[in-house]
Amino acid sequence: MVAMTQLRVGERAKIVDLSRVSDLVKRRLLDMGVTEGAEICLKCTMPLGGPFMIENCGQCVGIRRNEAMNIQVKPL
Amino acid sequence: MMHIALVGNPNTGKTSLFNQLTGTYEYVGNWSGVTVEKKVGVLRNKQAKVIDLPGVYSLHPLSRDERVVTQFLLTESFDEMLNIVDASQLERNLLLTVQLLEFGKPLAIALNMVDVAERRGIFIDQTKLATMLRVPVVPVVARTGKGCDQVEHMLLEKATEQTEPLTLFYGGAMERAIERFRAAWGTEEKFPVRWLAIQFYEGNSYVRDYVAEKLPEATWRSLYEQAEKEVQQAEQMSLAQLIYERRRSFVKEIIEQSVQRKEIERVTLTERIDAVVTNKYVGIPIFLLAMYVLFQLTFDWIGAPLSDLLDAFFAGPLTDSMTAVLKAIGASEFIRALIVDGIIAGVGGVLVFVPQIFILFFFISFLEDSGYMARVALVMDRLMEAVGLNGKAFIPLIIGFGCNVPGVMAARTIEQPRERLVTMLLTPLMSCSARLPVYALFVGAFFATHQALVVLSLYVLGVSLALILAKLFSLTILKEESSVFVVELPPYRMPQWQALWRSTWDKGKGFVKKAGTFIFGGSVAIWLLSYVGPHGVNVNMDDSFLAMIGSVLAPLLAPLGFGTWQAGAALLTGFLAKEVVVSTMNIIYHVPDVESLQGLMASHFTALSAFSFMVFVLLYVPCLATVATIYKETRSRKWTMFSIGYALVLAYIVSFVIYQAGSLFGF
Ligand SMILES: Nc1nc2c(ncn2[C@@H]2O[C@H](COP(=O)(O)OP(=O)(O)OP(=O)(O)O)[C@@H](O)[C@H]2O)c(=O)[nH]1
Ligand SMILES: [Mg+2]
Repeated sequence: MVAMTQLRVGERAKIVDLSRVSDLVKRRLLDMGVTEGAEICLKCTMPLGGPFMIENCGQCVGIRRNEAMNIQVKPL
Repeated sequence: MMHIALVGNPNTGKTSLFNQLTGTYEYVGNWSGVTVEKKVGVLRNKQAKVIDLPGVYSLHPLSRDERVVTQFLLTESFDEMLNIVDASQLERNLLLTVQLLEFGKPLAIALNMVDVAERRGIFIDQTKLATMLRVPVVPVVARTGKGCDQVEHMLLEKATEQTEPLTLFYGGAMERAIERFRAAWGTEEKFPVRWLAIQFYEGNSYVRDYVAEKLPEATWRSLYEQAEKEVQQAEQMSLAQLIYERRRSFVKEIIEQSVQRKEIERVTLTERIDAVVTNKYVGIPIFLLAMYVLFQLTFDWIGAPLSDLLDAFFAGPLTDSMTAVLKAIGASEFIRALIVDGIIAGVGGVLVFVPQIFILFFFISFLEDSGYMARVALVMDRLMEAVGLNGKAFIPLIIGFGCNVPGVMAARTIEQPRERLVTMLLTPLMSCSARLPVYALFVGAFFATHQALVVLSLYVLGVSLALILAKLFSLTILKEESSVFVVELPPYRMPQWQALWRSTWDKGKGFVKKAGTFIFGGSVAIWLLSYVGPHGVNVNMDDSFLAMIGSVLAPLLAPLGFGTWQAGAALLTGFLAKEVVVSTMNIIYHVPDVESLQGLMASHFTALSAFSFMVFVLLYVPCLATVATIYKETRSRKWTMFSIGYALVLAYIVSFVIYQAGSLFGF
């Protein structure tokens, strides 16, 4: 189990733990179907500690790096 | 008349369907949060009213635009809901459907984007879906209008049917909590009590406020706390989590039975484009390049030549034939002067910029409808984070390049109230299309060789100042609150020509309309003020009332390089709408066309003072319509006054520095 920030671009992983993500961001992620157990793929990252773009069921979502750091995933 | 509400997730095509059903045009774009307020239209056969609403993921609102929906459902009367469901994202869309079914109003489903779903290998058995949810389902493609007739049929037939609210079993602990709520609440006419209870336990702040109106605080608090404790014990989950999980397993079950997937293994076009435009290294350069091309097209390559043609027409054939006609019908000299020197000079002087403005709007519409807008939010987030905002705030700013009013409105999708406020206050610094005539006028006169570059510098100045002030505001008057950023990135879609044209026209017609109203009225008033003075009518303009008013301001403006009564008068009228500055100048300098005006201005301005003047026009006070919108959105007189005040101070300081420093260096 690693933090999402450990993934390489293009790598797929399963989300294991979202409990450390801030409430507001977690709500939004749930809204978009990014939940514990969901399979995601890291699509790209922006430079200088910028946001991450992840894909889940054909849907892309952008989140900040510090939130991604709090998401625990299991690489597939 | 029957009222039908359109409800659905963001960016699922609600407004597209609304436009098809009503035959009107409301704002469509390919990102989440295009529609931010309620819009009412009438079905084409005039039998029912349709209400378009912002997109929501659930009925529990986080941002201002989402609140509109919950508020609508709770407080307004309507007969039926049309739930627009994105067939390519069935799971998260149906999570909302469950909540709507629990709400119990008659509901029908329009299964939209079936074209997208099929391309992704998702095939939905609509009859199965309809039987499982016990509501009618019609597949549609809102973009092309396929299936919209069936939707209309279904809506009108459906009206008589009565539906029972869906009852989903949430497990023993939760069910007991619902019963306790029911006992405490008593009877309820407006909504199913069960729905109210579930929303209350889920933490819906709007519903909680509603509950708190009827129940004493101690009661609802203990209801909530007891439920939370019991659910935690029984299921090891929080209330919201439990409710979410139960709904999700219900939805999963439905999808399992009604959806067939064919594995289509190929890289989508969206992925290929994203590999470039959201690339770590070239993402930001590509955005800047796109902006540069946009300005070149508007000012240099296409827009300017077209405007010149139009100007020649107004100055030549139009003025001549108008003068001839007036002479033929024996109009008095007063009427001739009013029409030719007042109206044609004032209104025509603004209308010549219509081509440039339409080109600008065309490209903004293209950005909006292609899906690039959300990528801009992603690419710019790092920079915005540094100044205390988030990437989503960039969308209102870009829309603000077209017109500040929809820009201020677009800030509704920003979740954090503080960030939203700062964004609204700063959007007026984006150089909107109404300021463009002013630049074009001065740039043509003083910077003929570097037109696009000088204009670009003004846009960049506006954006840079907005970023600096954002930092300043978030450090001082508006601290606290952490910034959040989650953005949905829709697949790219090739905008259709027709849709692009509708969207461009919808934005541009405001400009043309303003020319017919505000600018027309303004031109007449200004001309009259310049025609009469304390010593009678048809006075020398320097003795007119307009000159008197302008000269009050002149000494104040002298340190900025344009201390003439003409500049003062023009700026004063510019508060109505910034393009009135150009009308006023046309009338004051009493010339038939832009070209000769530019020649004449050379004796009143230098290149430096012209630049300083443009900067001042860019920054000094938002226009009347923007101020009204800021007031409507903030509901605060204080912040509205602040938006005017800081802009004036900023404009004065920046113009002062530019002029004085420029003079020092001998420009
Ligand atoms: N391919 C395809 N695209 C569609 C369809 N319906 C709508 N679109 C596109 O989807 C995008 C979003 O459409 P809107 O009508 O603005 O969506 P909305 O639900 O009103 O969005 P919000 O107001 O942001 O909640 C636009 O780019 C439309 O052109 C469809 O059936 N098929
Ligand atoms: Mg919409």
